[in-house]
Amino acid sequence: MSPNLTYVIVVGVLVAAGVTLLLERSLTRVLMGVILLGNGANLLLLTGGRAGAPPIVGSAPQEEMSDPLPQAMILTAIVITLGMTAFLLALAYRSWHLNGHDEVQDDVEDRRIMDLADRDEVPDDDVDGDDDEESPTTDERQLSTTAKGGRAG
Amino acid sequence: MTFLVPLPVVMPLLGAALTLLLLGRPRAQRWVSLTVLTATVAVAAMLLIQSSLHGPLVVEVGGWVAPLGIVLVADQLAALMLVVSAAVTLCVLVYSIGQGMADGDEETPLSVYHPTYLVLTAGVCNAFLSGDLFNLYVGFEILLVASYVLLTLGSTETRIRAGTTYVVVSLLSSVIFLVAIGLVYASTGTLNLAQLADRLDALPDDIRLLLQGMLLLAFGIKAAVFPLSAWLPDSYPTAPAPVTAVFAGLLTKVGVYAIIRTETLLFPGGRVATLMLVTAVLTMVVGILGAVAQSDIKRLLSFTLISHIGYMLFGVGLTSSLGLSAAIFYVVHHITIQTTLFLAAGLVERRGGTTAMDRLGGLARLSPILAVLFFVPALNLAGIPPFSGFLGKLGLVQAGIDDGGALAWILVAGGLVTSLLTLYAVARVWNLAFWRAPHPEMPAADDAEQAARTEGAVQPQQSLATAQTGAVLPGLMIAPTVALVVFGLVLTLVAGPLFDLSSDAANDLLQRTPYVDAVFPGGAP
Amino acid sequence: MLVLVAVHALTAVIAPALVRLWGRHALYVVALVPGATLAWALTHTGKVRSGEPVVETLTWVPQLDLELALRMGTLSWLMVVLVGGVGALVLAYSARYFRSDDPGLGRFVAVFVAFAGAMLGLVVSDDLLLLYVFWELTTVFSYLLIGYDPAKRASRRAAMQALLVTTLGGLAMLAGFVMLGQHAGSYRWSVVAENLPGGGYLAVALVLILLGALSKSAIFPFSFWLPGAMAAPTPVSAYLHAAAMVKAGVFLVALMGPAVAEVTPWRPVLLVGGLITMFLGGWSALRQVDLKLLLAYGTVSQLGLLMVVLGAGTRDAALAGVAMVLAHALFKATLFLTVGIIDHATGTRDLRELSGVGRRAPALAVVAGLAAASMAGLPPMAGFVAKEAAVEALLHGGTADLAVLAGVIFGSVLTVAYTLRYLWGAFADKPGVEPTTVRPVSWAILTPAAVLAVAGVAVGVLAPAVDRLLAPYADLYRSAEPGYHLALWHGLTPALGLSVLAVAGGAGLFDLMRRERVRATMRLPFDGAVAYKKCINAIDRLAVELTGRTQRGSLPFYLGVILVVMVVLPGGALLAGSPWPQRFHLWDTPLQGVAAAMVVIAAVMAARALRRLTAMILVGVAGYGIALMFVLHGAPDLALTQFLVETVTIVMFVLVLRRLPAKFSERPIRSSRRGRVAIGVAVGAVTAGMAYVAAGARQAVPISVDFPDGAVSYGGGKNVVNVTLVDIRAWDTMGEIAVLVVAATGVASLIFRHARDLGRRGDIPGDGPTEYNRPRWLTTGATARSQSVILQVITRLLFHAIVLFSIYLLFSGHNAPGGGFAAGLVAGLALAVRYLAGGRTELNGAAPVDAGVVLGAGLFVAVGTGVAAMLLGGEFLQSALLDFHLPVLGHIHFVTSAFFDVGVYLIVVGLVLDILRSLGAEMDRQHETEGDEVREKELV
Repeated sequence: MSPNLTYVIVVGVLVAAGVTLLLERSLTRVLMGVILLGNGANLLLLTGGRAGAPPIVGSAPQEEMSDPLPQAMILTAIVITLGMTAFLLALAYRSWHLNGHDEVQDDVEDRRIMDLADRDEVPDDDVDGDDDEESPTTDERQLSTTAKGGRAG
Repeated sequence: MTFLVPLPVVMPLLGAALTLLLLGRPRAQRWVSLTVLTATVAVAAMLLIQSSLHGPLVVEVGGWVAPLGIVLVADQLAALMLVVSAAVTLCVLVYSIGQGMADGDEETPLSVYHPTYLVLTAGVCNAFLSGDLFNLYVGFEILLVASYVLLTLGSTETRIRAGTTYVVVSLLSSVIFLVAIGLVYASTGTLNLAQLADRLDALPDDIRLLLQGMLLLAFGIKAAVFPLSAWLPDSYPTAPAPVTAVFAGLLTKVGVYAIIRTETLLFPGGRVATLMLVTAVLTMVVGILGAVAQSDIKRLLSFTLISHIGYMLFGVGLTSSLGLSAAIFYVVHHITIQTTLFLAAGLVERRGGTTAMDRLGGLARLSPILAVLFFVPALNLAGIPPFSGFLGKLGLVQAGIDDGGALAWILVAGGLVTSLLTLYAVARVWNLAFWRAPHPEMPAADDAEQAARTEGAVQPQQSLATAQTGAVLPGLMIAPTVALVVFGLVLTLVAGPLFDLSSDAANDLLQRTPYVDAVFPGGAP
Repeated sequence: MLVLVAVHALTAVIAPALVRLWGRHALYVVALVPGATLAWALTHTGKVRSGEPVVETLTWVPQLDLELALRMGTLSWLMVVLVGGVGALVLAYSARYFRSDDPGLGRFVAVFVAFAGAMLGLVVSDDLLLLYVFWELTTVFSYLLIGYDPAKRASRRAAMQALLVTTLGGLAMLAGFVMLGQHAGSYRWSVVAENLPGGGYLAVALVLILLGALSKSAIFPFSFWLPGAMAAPTPVSAYLHAAAMVKAGVFLVALMGPAVAEVTPWRPVLLVGGLITMFLGGWSALRQVDLKLLLAYGTVSQLGLLMVVLGAGTRDAALAGVAMVLAHALFKATLFLTVGIIDHATGTRDLRELSGVGRRAPALAVVAGLAAASMAGLPPMAGFVAKEAAVEALLHGGTADLAVLAGVIFGSVLTVAYTLRYLWGAFADKPGVEPTTVRPVSWAILTPAAVLAVAGVAVGVLAPAVDRLLAPYADLYRSAEPGYHLALWHGLTPALGLSVLAVAGGAGLFDLMRRERVRATMRLPFDGAVAYKKCINAIDRLAVELTGRTQRGSLPFYLGVILVVMVVLPGGALLAGSPWPQRFHLWDTPLQGVAAAMVVIAAVMAARALRRLTAMILVGVAGYGIALMFVLHGAPDLALTQFLVETVTIVMFVLVLRRLPAKFSERPIRSSRRGRVAIGVAVGAVTAGMAYVAAGARQAVPISVDFPDGAVSYGGGKNVVNVTLVDIRAWDTMGEIAVLVVAATGVASLIFRHARDLGRRGDIPGDGPTEYNRPRWLTTGATARSQSVILQVITRLLFHAIVLFSIYLLFSGHNAPGGGFAAGLVAGLALAVRYLAGGRTELNGAAPVDAGVVLGAGLFVAVGTGVAAMLLGGEFLQSALLDFHLPVLGHIHFVTSAFFDVGVYLIVVGLVLDILRSLGAEMDRQHETEGDEVREKELV
């Protein structure tokens, strides 16, 4: 089978644009990236089947029909993407509702460990100190308290 | 008996439909879910017996002869995975009912929870049974979308943030999988796995490598293999305990299963074995060091989860029969144990009000049951004999030493170091959360707990106030955790037969013919 | 033997209950279990002596060569006697040591018995893997026992330290075992010993195994954990850390010695490690002021000596070694027990505070004195007999042996010195120290110690009998010489002279140290504990640094990593591949180029757009362009669906974007934007390249060539794509609708946060019920404040027409473009139009049902169709063709898969309805409520 160069180029552009958007922080952009990526993947599926007349028996000779299998797959994929889009939109709205923006935030706990790494420290542990009632320094405590906020579920 | 094959998918889906229709009737929904999952366990068990007696069971869905339609294949590997996952999902369901009863359904709306949970089960089962590459994708999508919903239950700020990371990474992996399918179909003209086994052999090596790479990438993200794993510890721990538990137990394993299936059936010969072994050792070591750095039990467990995926890759990468069978054994063990530990962490959270180690202490004295429920699986995870984790690890070490290659030696060393560090990590949890004197902020009243345990299990709604402070451990949360701990111990007792099973499965996988012949009794078209 | 191990385990389980029942008296009952072990071993004495090992085997995991293979030869017999005997006595002692109301007593007894069981298993294991199993179990139980008082930080740290150090060694040992076992094809030591590999492989394996043995027996450089372990209660120290667990390493060396003593690293490692440990332990013991720690360091020293003697690798040395194991267990356990008694009776173990205890508790002093004499190697004690044998064995060797002998003698000097220090410290009258008050010592607590002490004397006196019992082990060493015999009196031999020398030297050293205060100046050159701390700290630091580097917590970072892997790995394979296919075509028809240009331009502009609405429109344009390409490809179903999906997507976007700011934030920095674009272009290029190569590689005929025939004959439809969806690959479609159901549920779950709001019927709090309960034809609801009346009327008129059209699409889809998806989307759009024109009351008027019920019904119908086929005897989802005549309609051609498509239709409608309810109506409501709240606040 010989590849259709137009498809190949469009696939490349859709994926490139999709990835560029996907790497953004705004959820709306991320979502648009997902949609473009999905379109790119669908077109790539189409590249794997030949083009031709609509695959409706009786309307054209069978050997001139386009390959129906990629079409069925794409249809499934399109509809799944629709569901995902709806979900992501709801997520973006919810994020906006809670935070006043729809940008993806960094993880707080990870940030805490990165801070430890920057300060060349180790996690609070049994290693040092002499008595048992020791507690972490105040700012650490506050940090971990904020980290746990909304987690008690 | 082939009529049984679709049931592990069909029954949960029908259950999901019913629970949707039973909107606002939580009792009825609970019964539907419990019945369906119990039945699924039974069916899975029958499938396991049948497939080990008579070879793989194949169903051509809708009566469309393979490779035209979709085939479902229940071979020993698939059936084994089904049994374990069904059992685990059932236990977690009971646990979540227990938790939900005490919580009130404010945060976990049951009318969302039950259908979604059932669909998740259906997706997992579908992924195990699928004999068709695109259908495997659909299976993944089913379980993923369900996991998105479960992860963001209650849509608090933390869960929205964590959920976003999880959803977007998973979407990317889905796109990559879809692209891989497009490439596979473009180059071979088929989707049927058994037929692909044949047609991929005929492709030029570099194209096969390309396809293999893309599929491994897609599955590697789902299985949380380093460096594709960083999303996991940021997302899993924020979910409600039972959700995290079932995710940890099952979702990554579906990725591992897909890797095992495709690497043995579609790409035999271990062309990427080196890559896989390198990845395995990195996953093990980086993962466990991540666990060591944590100060929250759930996050710590999430990192051990990643780390131990490395063991399974290790076994697969060795491409020997012993390695593969040890990997399969390890998968079964790890599904059980990791789930158990997360359930135990949920109990810790309930009892101590948090899973942050710096705010816990004295649990061994405050709640001896909880102590046992954590300690035993924790040791099991660390590979302390005689538990199943040790047996799996032993098989891997034996296979690695049999292999004798330099890389295999490094992996043996890495595996043992990981085992030690796992022990260090869980022993730290034990020292801090269970042994240390109780933290002042923790609910400490022993008598309150005694009172609540008897009364709380019967009338959970009344003790809602105490539940919030954490002094109650509802019986419905304890019982399934106990069941899973016992299940983990049973794995040790029946390790002989189980290893027989996994060896058989591994040999079938390596030979490829049992699978292909079952799908195409007359030879591949 | 298995039964005995099982009894231990069982006792451990019920022990807490027994303690709750009988208090500390339960310990006497529990002590019967190790006592039974001792009795069992004694009954088998004759058999073992005659060289017949007791053997038991049970399969466990044959694939891993892991068997419950137990074998009791001479060495094991000795160990069983010690484990059982000392275990029983220590438990009896504990029955008086602890108080009945000690809250940890039940746990203590359970773990203690479990430990005894594990130790028993360890010493009778023939399968090396089984030995490892018990080995690790002793480690774990020891961890729990050391942490007996877990509220103390020191206990916890000591427990962790012991756990990690011994597990580290254990894991190394496991690797060594596996190396030997995989080579021999069996893990039975009796088999492995006959099938040893050679060369470097064996050397590595042995070094690994020795790591395990040395760490378990607290040999340098692992010695430090043992003194730390003294945080455990004294009975634990007496048993685990003197008599039993620390002997595991010694036992292993003794077990393997006969087979491997000649292999290069074995002897040097043991001799050097043992000697260093002996010196360091001895020195440290001399510096201690805590009697228990003094004994602990003494134990370390003695373990070193044991390793030296057993590592020497000759028959006579081996005999001396096992005799010494026996002697050491007896005297060291006794000494620990006496320290416990002193601690109890006086409240301190500090030798600076103790004075005159010997006079006040003479019986105790006698018992301790007997044991101490044995430790110092005075006749007629067991210690003397053993040491004589060791000196004799080394005396007749080569230069190396003589050097070792010198070391051993020096070690003995130290031993004598710290023995004296112990006796002096515990019992002597010290000038200038207040005489200590001593509570009376009961016989019940002293008896176990006394029994052990007397046993030490008995072994010495009955040396020839002991010799006959232990000699079979020593004879495993292949040596032609007639061999040495244990005895109290060998005549005036050089060995005796050396013993006298050691005692005299020791006495002198003790005297010197007491008077000269030399001990303050003595510093150890290397402290294992410091090294351990550094290691742990290094691991923690490494963990933090590495995790800080890899776990960035940033979604774009994670995505970037995945994408870079994709560019590098499959992309690399792409570049490295053989020449790319030359055959390609630019397009099927030039029109494709036009559509493609539209898609490309829209996509690139979308990636650059700064306003949400612009970006959304551009993405939509790209989507419509794709639909156009589908048309040109010959895929009308696809084009129709894509068109409808794009439209629904735009509706959803509009619903959400009306709440979000118009512009994206300005955050992106130029450099990071370049990075994103670079990754994007690279991934795009790789994907395109792969698509090109893959499509060019196709040789095989696709399976779908048979679809059209099958679709008509078996699926009963002419539209192949639709038949594929509802029949050939209906299983996929079933999964896909499950995805839709859950996505809809998820949207609702995100927007409606509480369960009570999820009754999605429309009884939304705050909405008066009247507005939609009285549907009015062609009129507006009361709340639709801003919408145009004309628009609403028009949409109402159109609505039913569109719904009818969608039903037509649904049923015609089997033979022409259409089908459940397209039809459902059309119906959904009709609802969307109603909502957009009239707000949420209009929506409720148009669809007065629960979205959840529609979804559930759809799923039920679709899956139910499949089940029905199964119940009727077909495969799941198998369809049937029905042709029949109806009076008015004429010939009807009906395919049962149409039911399935109805299910699909319902689910798509349910999804759209749910989206409109959530992203539309509920968002409106939340917005209004918040607006009200804001207004109320402003008023206040």
